[in-house]
Amino acid sequence: MPDPRAGLLTALMITWRVACVVIAVTAVVVTAALGAGLGAGLSANEAYQDDTWWAAGDARQFPSRATFSNSSGALTVLRSGAPLDTQGHPFFSPLGTNGRACVTCHQPADSMSLSAQTIQKRWQDTQGQDPLFAPVDGSNCPHLPQSQRSSHSLLLDRGLFRVFRPWPPRAADGATIEPEFTLEVVRDPTGCNLHPQYGVHSANPMVSVYRRPRPVANVKYLTAIGFSFEPKNGLPLPLDPQTAAPTSGNLMADARNRTLKSQAIDAALVHLQASANPTDAQLRQILDFEATLYSAQGQDRWGGALTEAGASGGPETLAASPAGELQGGAKPVWSEFAAWAKLPAASGSEEQRLFRESVARGADVFANRTFLIRDAAGLTSIGFGNPVRNACAFCHNMMRTGMDVAPGQVDLGTTNEPFANPAPELPLFKLTCKEPYRPHPHLGRVVYTQDPGYALTTGKCRDIGKITIQQMRGLAARAPYFSNGSARTLRDIVDYYDRRYSIGYTEQEKQDLVNLMSVL
Amino acid sequence: MAEPRTRNVQASAVSAMAALPVLLMIAAGLCADEPATAQVRSFVSCPIYRDTNAGRKSGCWLANDPENGVQYDISLGRIKPLLGRQVLVEGVVSPKDAGPSAPRQSMCGATVLEPVRVAVLDAACKEYSIPAEGFPGRRFVLPAKLLQPASVPRQLPPPPYGKREYTIFFELNNDFLIYQYAETIIEDIVLYTKASHARRVVITGYAATTGYEVSGRHIAEKLEIAKARAAMVAAALERLGVPRTLLELKWQGEPQLDPPTDAGLIEPAKRRATVEIVL
Repeated sequence: MPDPRAGLLTALMITWRVACVVIAVTAVVVTAALGAGLGAGLSANEAYQDDTWWAAGDARQFPSRATFSNSSGALTVLRSGAPLDTQGHPFFSPLGTNGRACVTCHQPADSMSLSAQTIQKRWQDTQGQDPLFAPVDGSNCPHLPQSQRSSHSLLLDRGLFRVFRPWPPRAADGATIEPEFTLEVVRDPTGCNLHPQYGVHSANPMVSVYRRPRPVANVKYLTAIGFSFEPKNGLPLPLDPQTAAPTSGNLMADARNRTLKSQAIDAALVHLQASANPTDAQLRQILDFEATLYSAQGQDRWGGALTEAGASGGPETLAASPAGELQGGAKPVWSEFAAWAKLPAASGSEEQRLFRESVARGADVFANRTFLIRDAAGLTSIGFGNPVRNACAFCHNMMRTGMDVAPGQVDLGTTNEPFANPAPELPLFKLTCKEPYRPHPHLGRVVYTQDPGYALTTGKCRDIGKITIQQMRGLAARAPYFSNGSARTLRDIVDYYDRRYSIGYTEQEKQDLVNLMSVL
Repeated sequence: MAEPRTRNVQASAVSAMAALPVLLMIAAGLCADEPATAQVRSFVSCPIYRDTNAGRKSGCWLANDPENGVQYDISLGRIKPLLGRQVLVEGVVSPKDAGPSAPRQSMCGATVLEPVRVAVLDAACKEYSIPAEGFPGRRFVLPAKLLQPASVPRQLPPPPYGKREYTIFFELNNDFLIYQYAETIIEDIVLYTKASHARRVVITGYAATTGYEVSGRHIAEKLEIAKARAAMVAAALERLGVPRTLLELKWQGEPQLDPPTDAGLIEPAKRRATVEIVL
């Protein structure tokens, strides 16, 4: 079945490009003037200026509500409570030596993450002088000539920061973990993994992988405990050694930090190059601020307000709803848009109605269109069988965010060969599982991977290439996607899964899924 | 008062007579499911995936018994096979599923083993995946006892409390706590330990070290897996709040079987850990 919007797209695209500029320039004026604007109760100080880059140390006020245009419409960031004066606030202040703050890589306009588009603009605006491009991880490797664009190609082209993990892995208490596998560098295009100072054979051995920053928003969902057990690892959730409380498995691509507090400390020491941990007061301020943020697309260029006609998209629902709910039955994931499944012909414009119905179909495909999931360690290796028939919502099962309630890490093949997209610009490692340890459940004793993922935290063969499932909100504001930025667009995500699992989506189903993801 | 009571007695007698055939049928049914009369099959084979589509997790898993040439439906195990890896199948052919007209055979197209235990072996084999061929498959049904969300308040078991023992079964050569099976037992242990203010929690891991012959090979476990099972259960209890100081770990080979079987199966029952709550 052809896309009902197809005939409209070309003509409307031109109009939209013009409209984009208008929207971007006049967003503040329009929203302030209309009062209700993109949401009820908008006031002048709730909108945001056009120059959306938030530099470390900017003494701005963080509003209670801000909207930012993007190619799909507009993102809304809510902050519960009063507007925040960020002067001296540790989230917005340089805590280390390289001039970065947390906000450098967690920009409000990018849904508290950072898009490659924003990175590229920042490079142009500052000729690469922004602290964002700090040698430590904002370049392909610190030894490269930092003034050259090519030295920052992974950040500029794929939105990837260098993440360097100790080798062999270390536990949270610093103890060395004896890995179940050996690690060889097969391909080292950045020169970092074999570098005498930064590489795996250096005095301080490190494995450099390259990953996207995750959004610091909707954090109550990131830390929600849906169930006490983590079936992917066969044990109850690990405990926070400081509080003895169970920790969610939904933080960090490789779960190297299991609490927001340890993440903040780690980020300050590594990404901000702080010489010491943030103070307890600073940590408290950072965590308190993060807990107030909700971010989601609020307006679509075709579909209009995402809270109209019975839908409950946008961040308001995120803020008002409980976290950690498992989808299913009468409450499938993305049922926020179920009311759009069948709209009266007279409701809104034709293109708006068609788009909204497409979103609702996308939600249905996401929750109910089953396919055979194969060779996804962490999912097909824990008793469900390999293959197992299920839908996207099998893993993306947390209401309102699409994370995994279970929770845990899965090898979707985004970094492991043979399923990963070819990426000669990324390193390639050969991991060989030692005797007597069990081999990787699907890939055998020798695994080639662009990023060992969770195995760099646990040292276990079964965890090679596993990546923590991440939230799906604010996607339109923060391309590219997957932990290694291998999906440049939302369509690339759908195409990857379609190829990876031989799903055979129709063109209509693909477009419906893209439309769904664009409004999340 | 007396007359009506007489009528009731007579009515009861008539009812009992009428119910007799039904009771006999029920008794026959129960007897038919007794392990003693059931046919137990153990074999090593390559699994076959039949891609039926009766919703999520509905595919059929089949395996051919090399000894008798019969294809069995092994979908009802605690865990499912992995394509391309040999499986050890240990199951009971229930008489009601043995004949060609057995109703459940029509779901996946093979004789149903139930109960059945499936263990994924390290040995590789050819991948066999076949279409539904008109078979509807079996809708996935959640286990009767399922771990509740963390948001659901837990009730501590009421007194009286006494010494109590729990048993957790494992897959062959594996210490992994089986999802949607083991976690409810673990949680029961935790709740009982807390409620009873237990003085000690004795965890004993076992391994089926003697083994037995299946499909021309000797299937046995190493003693190390007994220790690993005990450690895994201990880790689970500790993460759920049982103090480490209460835990006492032991491990050994063949257990004294009590309960003697895992749902009628003797060999799988040896791959276990027990948890004794001492007050």
